[in-house]
Amino acid sequence: MNVNFKIWRQDNPHSKGHFEQYGVEGLTGDMSFLEALDHLNERLVANNEKAIAYEYDCREGICGQCGIFINGRAHGPHDHMTTCQLHMRSFSDGDTIVVEPWRAAAFPIIKDLVVDRSALDNIIEQGAYITAKTGTAPEANAILIAKDLADKAMDAAACIGCGACVATCKNASAALFTAAKINHLNSLPQGAHEASKRVMQMTKQMELEGFGSCTFTGACEVECPEGISIVNIAEMNARRAKAKWWG
Amino acid sequence: MLNAKIPEGDLEHKWRNYQMQSQLINPANKKKLGVIVVGSGLAGAGAAATLAELGYDVQCFCYQDSARRAHSVAAQGGINAAKNYQHDGDSVWRMFHDTLKGGDFRSREANVYRLAELSAPLIDHYVQQGVPFAREYGGVLVNRSFGGVQVQRTFYARGQTGQQLLLAAYSQLYKMKRAKKVRMFPRHEMMDLVMLEGKAKGIIARDLVTGELKRFAAHAVVLATGGYARVFRLSTLAIGCNATAIWKAHKRGAYFAAPSFTQIHPTALPQTSEAQSKLTLMSESLRNDGRIWVPKKKGDGRRANAIPEEERDYYLERRYPSFGNLAPRDIASRAAKERIDAGYGVGRLKNAVYLDFSQAIGRLGRQTIADRYGNLFKMYEKITGVDAYEEPMQISPAAHFSMGGLWVDYELMTTIPGLYAIGECNFSDHGANRLGANSLLQASIDGYFVLPNTINNYLAGALQEDHPTTDHPEFEKVENEVRDHIEKVLHVKGNKTVDHFHRELGKIMWQECAMSRNREGLEKALVQIKEITDAFWKDVNVTGGHQEMNTELEKALRLADFLELGLLMCTDALNREESCGAHFREEYQTKEGEAVRNDEAYAHVSAWAYDQGRFTLHKEALTFEHVQPSVRSYK
Amino acid sequence: MALTGLFLCLFLMVHLSANSILLLPESTARALYNSYSTTLRESLLVKIVAYVLYLSILLHVGYGLLITLANQRAKPKKYAVNTFGENSSWTSQNMGLLGTMVLLFLVVHLANFWARIKLGMGAGVGMDAQGHVDVYEVTYSLFQNLYFVVFYTLLMVPLGLHLHHGLKSAFMTLGFYHKKGLRVLAKVSLVYAAIMAIGFGIIPFIVYLK
Repeated sequence: MNVNFKIWRQDNPHSKGHFEQYGVEGLTGDMSFLEALDHLNERLVANNEKAIAYEYDCREGICGQCGIFINGRAHGPHDHMTTCQLHMRSFSDGDTIVVEPWRAAAFPIIKDLVVDRSALDNIIEQGAYITAKTGTAPEANAILIAKDLADKAMDAAACIGCGACVATCKNASAALFTAAKINHLNSLPQGAHEASKRVMQMTKQMELEGFGSCTFTGACEVECPEGISIVNIAEMNARRAKAKWWG
Repeated sequence: MLNAKIPEGDLEHKWRNYQMQSQLINPANKKKLGVIVVGSGLAGAGAAATLAELGYDVQCFCYQDSARRAHSVAAQGGINAAKNYQHDGDSVWRMFHDTLKGGDFRSREANVYRLAELSAPLIDHYVQQGVPFAREYGGVLVNRSFGGVQVQRTFYARGQTGQQLLLAAYSQLYKMKRAKKVRMFPRHEMMDLVMLEGKAKGIIARDLVTGELKRFAAHAVVLATGGYARVFRLSTLAIGCNATAIWKAHKRGAYFAAPSFTQIHPTALPQTSEAQSKLTLMSESLRNDGRIWVPKKKGDGRRANAIPEEERDYYLERRYPSFGNLAPRDIASRAAKERIDAGYGVGRLKNAVYLDFSQAIGRLGRQTIADRYGNLFKMYEKITGVDAYEEPMQISPAAHFSMGGLWVDYELMTTIPGLYAIGECNFSDHGANRLGANSLLQASIDGYFVLPNTINNYLAGALQEDHPTTDHPEFEKVENEVRDHIEKVLHVKGNKTVDHFHRELGKIMWQECAMSRNREGLEKALVQIKEITDAFWKDVNVTGGHQEMNTELEKALRLADFLELGLLMCTDALNREESCGAHFREEYQTKEGEAVRNDEAYAHVSAWAYDQGRFTLHKEALTFEHVQPSVRSYK
Repeated sequence: MALTGLFLCLFLMVHLSANSILLLPESTARALYNSYSTTLRESLLVKIVAYVLYLSILLHVGYGLLITLANQRAKPKKYAVNTFGENSSWTSQNMGLLGTMVLLFLVVHLANFWARIKLGMGAGVGMDAQGHVDVYEVTYSLFQNLYFVVFYTLLMVPLGLHLHHGLKSAFMTLGFYHKKGLRVLAKVSLVYAAIMAIGFGIIPFIVYLK
């Protein structure tokens, strides 16, 4: 199949980017979207042009490093999918595919389609852990956790940190990302002892990083590769209110 | 003969004896000692966090944009531990025995025992860190079983065990970053090792955003850089996984052990085109209910569902009636290759076999199968567009795990003083074949429990030495060498892409140095790899410069090292004239095609030294005092 | 945002129930409506509530403006193509626009009633037979003008949409996260918004047709 890529090119964080059109031939439906870009890159290099920069690592939907805005949606046209899981069979011969980097003030562009998501790490740094040094843990089965609680914690913990929630949000809010982590740890007995501190510090950092606020459009939970529910944000708000007013 | 410095005493007491005799450092002195950790997976993040908690001054590096991306995330199935929670006769001893036997008696007894011994406290640790392991209704932990063992000792967190463990390690690491005990350097790739007076004292890293080369000094360097199966190009590994750090260390004097021992996983998705970049793994657990078959007729062009039962060859059940579809990974992969090579493969490229659930669905109902494997079926459909409830999956073997790696002693130190290798990048515990759910375990044990208890034995001596600084002329020299190397790649300005050469290398490695090997093929491969290497340096084209983010340059530098590593892998495979575990030499097999091991001549670890492009063999003898090597049979 | 919004939602319910008096036959409606509005004006409690109401409106608008600006700063560069209709409702993506339309309505509405009755601007307002200020007459005369009828009715559409998304997300902002409860809440929000939009929207027409 042949498609027409319209791709955002930007040399460095300070340069002004622009869209560039590339007609690409000889693709097959079995190729992943990233393989189609690889194919285009090989052609660019053969023409002595600079390759397009985009991110990926595991290419099996779990590491969270890939992330491109494709035809108006984070990670492309399907719900709950990463960019690396998207295949060319989702497009038709002759399609024009618009390819843009994640857009958010907190995710500055580094080059072409690559953005800096370290703001998410900074939120994690402010409390997404349980303070227990290696070697200090009690026997594992001494901490009993009911199955439904463990399952619920797992639902929230499933976040892969790709940033699609921020990318798709009209406010560039990181509420779903932050909420998922807070709810994972705060709902478990191991995490309860520093629950208030965690929720206050992490939400504060979320604001400091320049993310917008949540207005519950619900776009994030649709684009989230792990399908993490927006209800997590309401739960985070409750935890935050409790921490703020009752400590 | 290499000395692994195994401590004295009974197997059960060796680790305790070691700890009692190793040197300690008082907390006030620890903060004067710097450690560089390269890699942020389970081994790297675990080590960096723990060393920082102990008080060392830690600098941690990863090539990804965040420590959380390391490829430990991709492990789905679980992590083994000898907790005996299921009351099914498990013990440290049994786990030790299973692992040693699973590795076909090519690993060190003392190391394997320590791995089993420390597995139980590791689960305690992860639970305390908030890993949401699967639970029973009453709140206790659940276990399941995995290939190659008869007990249930695998702990899991849905299909995301690796991800959840890594998130625990990553958050512990960031806790220490917040405490200003760790400095994190994401998007930094180690380019070379710097040695002062024969000891590892620093690294040169490339900032992948700006292209700047930077110098980092410390009292010790820890490599935790993972596996190198990307040498095959198509593998289950992340695209960025590479051998550069360990290869550069090897060229500076660290011995490389058992480089050719690569696990080929039987249940990955087949290659569909030349353009393919990655083979996605489907969990081994599918083989519990799926039956593997190929048509009995060569080149049968019918659709799977149109082939009647009596014209299907369930070859694993036929060859290994007692283990059937659950034969260990190396055996299952080889059997698939045998059928595919003989012309019975299925799929468009005739490179796959069927994994069929129709009978299980008929027997148990679609809902039960969906409950057990729903997420995997969904993943299969996302990637292939095929509904596996309606027609069989097509699967194919794929390069997966590197049992080989830098040779380390009992303390996990390489042959370079002050240079440690932990996790998949070392050769320590898995022998010639790794058991399922043991890789998360080994990476974690190395990082959390072993290294933080052995590095002090070396660093205690470093207190009296001068504090290493990057002003030393040796840093400048190595940095210049790195810069020259980069410029050399950029100056070729040929006509072919990096991927072109990687595909060429991958094809040869897959053909000659994967599931089955023979002298003729390996000798041919050595010649061909040299030809590709020459062609690479004459005709590769890398556009863009080095003072910017340049993904093509990154790929080219990694490939340059894979080309050299490929030679060593083939050299090692050629040298080991026996069949053991994943290393199957066609010359050494029974009439039925089973592996023939040669304990008399090859009960040793092959550790290779590098000297100007030549490899010299050193041996570490393997002695078995507690378990007598036996023939692995799955008939 | 959520607290002021919920208070305004509550106010709308009271407002609509009072307005439904206008649906009665003229003789009863005039007396009842005028006496009701007199009671409101004379009660101290209602006066206090009225100030809370003014404050709520100001805060809701002001804070909404600030948040919208902050959110725009968080996303300064928009996508060239954004098919958000595939992952979210149009309403949820346009609360600011809808709110502005409601505000526009409010300004006209206050000019029509509040300014005339309370501030005595525009034409004077007479008394009814019971000696109450004849608010009914103000309403009645306004809705003899078809332009106002159409304006009042049409702008109930953005109000309804704004309420539909606003009510349920206000609860979530305040930390209501009970899963089943949220499913019920979604339905309640829809019904509430529909009643408000249809209720307020239909009254001008009925008055016009009287």
